[in-house]
Amino acid sequence: MSEPIPFTVIGGFLGVGKTTLLNRLLRGAEGRRFAVLVNDFGALDIDGGLVAAHGGDTIALANGCLCCTIGDSLVTTLLGLLERQEQRERFDHIVVEASGVADPGRIADLAVLEPRLARDGVIVVVDAAQVRERAADRRVGDTILRQLKAADLLVLNKTDLAGDLPALRDWLSAQSMAPILEARHGDLPLDLLFGLDRTGASGDGSTVGAFASWSYQWPEPVERADLLAMLHEAPGEVLRAKGIVRFADAPDRRAVVHLVGRRLDVSDEGPWGDTAGSRLVMLGLKPVLGLLPRE
Amino acid sequence: MTTTVYSARRVITMNPNRPFATHVAVRDGRILGAGSLEELKGWGKVELDTRFADKVILPGFVEGHSHAFEGGVWKFPYVGYFDRTGPEGKHAPGLKSIDEVVAALQAHEATLPKGASLLAWGFDPIYFGGRRMVLADVDRISTERPVVIIHSNFHVANANTPVLAKAGITRTTNVHGIVKDAKGDPTGELQEMAAKYMAYRAAGVELAAVLSDEQAVWRFARVAQLAGVTTATDLHNELPESTVEGYLKATGSDDFPIRLLPAFAATSVPPAEGVVRLQALTKKNNDKLRFQLVKIVTDGSIQGLSARMRWPGYYDGTPNGVWNVGPDDIDRILLAYHRAGFQVHIHTNGDEASEVGIEAVERALAAAPRWDHRHTLQHAQMADAGQFRRMKALGMCANLFANHLYYWGDIHYAKTLGPERAERMDACATALGVGVPFAIHCDAPVTPIGPLFTAWCAVNRLTASGRTLGEAEKIPVADALRAITLGAAYTLKLDEELGSIDVGKRADFAILDDDPLSVPPGKLKDVGVWGTVLGGKVFEAPKA
Repeated sequence: MSEPIPFTVIGGFLGVGKTTLLNRLLRGAEGRRFAVLVNDFGALDIDGGLVAAHGGDTIALANGCLCCTIGDSLVTTLLGLLERQEQRERFDHIVVEASGVADPGRIADLAVLEPRLARDGVIVVVDAAQVRERAADRRVGDTILRQLKAADLLVLNKTDLAGDLPALRDWLSAQSMAPILEARHGDLPLDLLFGLDRTGASGDGSTVGAFASWSYQWPEPVERADLLAMLHEAPGEVLRAKGIVRFADAPDRRAVVHLVGRRLDVSDEGPWGDTAGSRLVMLGLKPVLGLLPRE
Repeated sequence: MTTTVYSARRVITMNPNRPFATHVAVRDGRILGAGSLEELKGWGKVELDTRFADKVILPGFVEGHSHAFEGGVWKFPYVGYFDRTGPEGKHAPGLKSIDEVVAALQAHEATLPKGASLLAWGFDPIYFGGRRMVLADVDRISTERPVVIIHSNFHVANANTPVLAKAGITRTTNVHGIVKDAKGDPTGELQEMAAKYMAYRAAGVELAAVLSDEQAVWRFARVAQLAGVTTATDLHNELPESTVEGYLKATGSDDFPIRLLPAFAATSVPPAEGVVRLQALTKKNNDKLRFQLVKIVTDGSIQGLSARMRWPGYYDGTPNGVWNVGPDDIDRILLAYHRAGFQVHIHTNGDEASEVGIEAVERALAAAPRWDHRHTLQHAQMADAGQFRRMKALGMCANLFANHLYYWGDIHYAKTLGPERAERMDACATALGVGVPFAIHCDAPVTPIGPLFTAWCAVNRLTASGRTLGEAEKIPVADALRAITLGAAYTLKLDEELGSIDVGKRADFAILDDDPLSVPPGKLKDVGVWGTVLGGKVFEAPKA
């Protein structure tokens, strides 16, 4: 069976800016083929020149990405997409836009049940200007709090419209374990949100604004406990990590290490079968990463 | 031009000017009149048909909330606790233990081709004294092919080992909806999204098509017809082309035994697109198929612990349920269809959901005043007197889920709602007293289609264990019969065309073996249905 496809869920209440984030993704998806499942094409800002084919409930883009509308059933839309991809196309990443009242964590569970998918992260977008008022609403407050709890990464959007940002940050940290990324119009590096490409390779020290990536290589097998401790103890500013590792306790196996926010997964992906050594890339906020030890 | 006069033991018309008659005359598929033979002969030459001479004729029953998916699931074996009648009139006996379910499915398994998945539906363990179905039970059916047994609520399923293995579900799988035993091992019971995903995985995506293809709608129509139904809704459908084609083909046949009203699933496409789509579909309407309804689903279900409730919430402390379309999103959808002149049916189980539905209609009316919209709350199970008064003031209707009283009333009393709110759920007497036009329904396939049973529930309010759930909300038999005929027709804007036996209306009748107004109210559900007449064509129900 081919390698499972990373599966990301973008959640957050109505009007927080999920679509803005998706628009950025579709425009900036250089070299990576995303399949994006959305509630409504209408809200997407797709340049007419970029559309390769419009098939009713799907739009194929010239850059290889595909948008599908979810319609009434995410389950059947997703299964349909997986079947389509087995027959014809191969996507590098599947992104689902959760409805504004859905619990995105429940949607991410689908990737755990589906061997063809690998759960990547739950990104919950938060409207800095509105979230506390809406979270106090008797009819939707609990829905919003469930979304915050389900997040692996929180994107605090519309910070230009927020009042007391430090107080809001404190409040969010009390609702959710997830690291908080601040944005204005969903302007965040895509690698941070959707991870690195399949190999985990990315230019060392590449930076976008306040963000940086940092990579490690180890020619010899790595002590499992040491690496996990390093990731567990990594400061909150480390937002993502992806590595392909030979652990000393299983040097002939290929372990894939995956960190999104505070969520760490280690999976066995078969025999090592690789000439290079272990490697790990971390993404996060610039100042802290610069301080991490290289070895 | 033939005029047929049917003689009957009694004709119950629902027309207050002439509530009872001995004969009914039919010409060109329409009702020429009800009265005495002498009176009806005044119309000219008539042919007297006496086949119903010992039967009782009522207006054909109108099921205001059902799903054609009832016909879809009959493709698969039914393994529920309660007896149920299949499309061919075949009696499917209730299975009273897990062993009976396993034995029935072992027999079925032997008939399946190699490699095929086994799907069954209707399973309901709540009467098995707490014993749940586990992996070992389902593995007795097969450890080779995937087996998925869907529960009667359609939100929970049991699977066998091959299904779990294929999905890689083990004791370390940490996913909502995977039930584990005391030792932490998966029991094979799956809930909500996990259940749905695994059912589709086992059966293939074509399952969705199978559930609403032309054969499915035929089976649905037959099940409905057996219960005396002549008009039924398919109250939530995305209406893809393949389904519409099947519906058009089926309803184009003279032998198709019901009139069908699909409700367009409003959230399946953006409203602006949906309005245009539905407007185009209405051009395809025929005598037996009517596109005119829209459905919006706000919350989940009470027994599924996903209803949106006002304070103080679930009786057993379960957290409040989930929105499908919540208070911030409903206006956008409702207003689009409201402005376009469509009638919108809003699914609301919990009272917070009803509140959201009512307030959304209020805002829509302020934004775009409209008379006789008849927007209807579907289920409105927890609506209280105040909410009914608001519905009345806004010109709304309600379709109450009377069957719930019997099937889940005990659970509502003990766990979900508690005694006080359980006793006033599905408040037919309040609706009647306040003057909200209302129907009562089955939500098939969630419960079996059978308007006489539904009426029996509204009249007697008995739970499965025999508890009377709310003496004060019982309604008289005559009102219950109105709710399954003219009352339901009103909630579908069909009351000028059908729902009573009156001059000029469609000749749609339910032919009963006995007089529902004369039998003891406790026997209402046992009144036999001989068959139906649809547009003057007689459909005798096959005898099991």
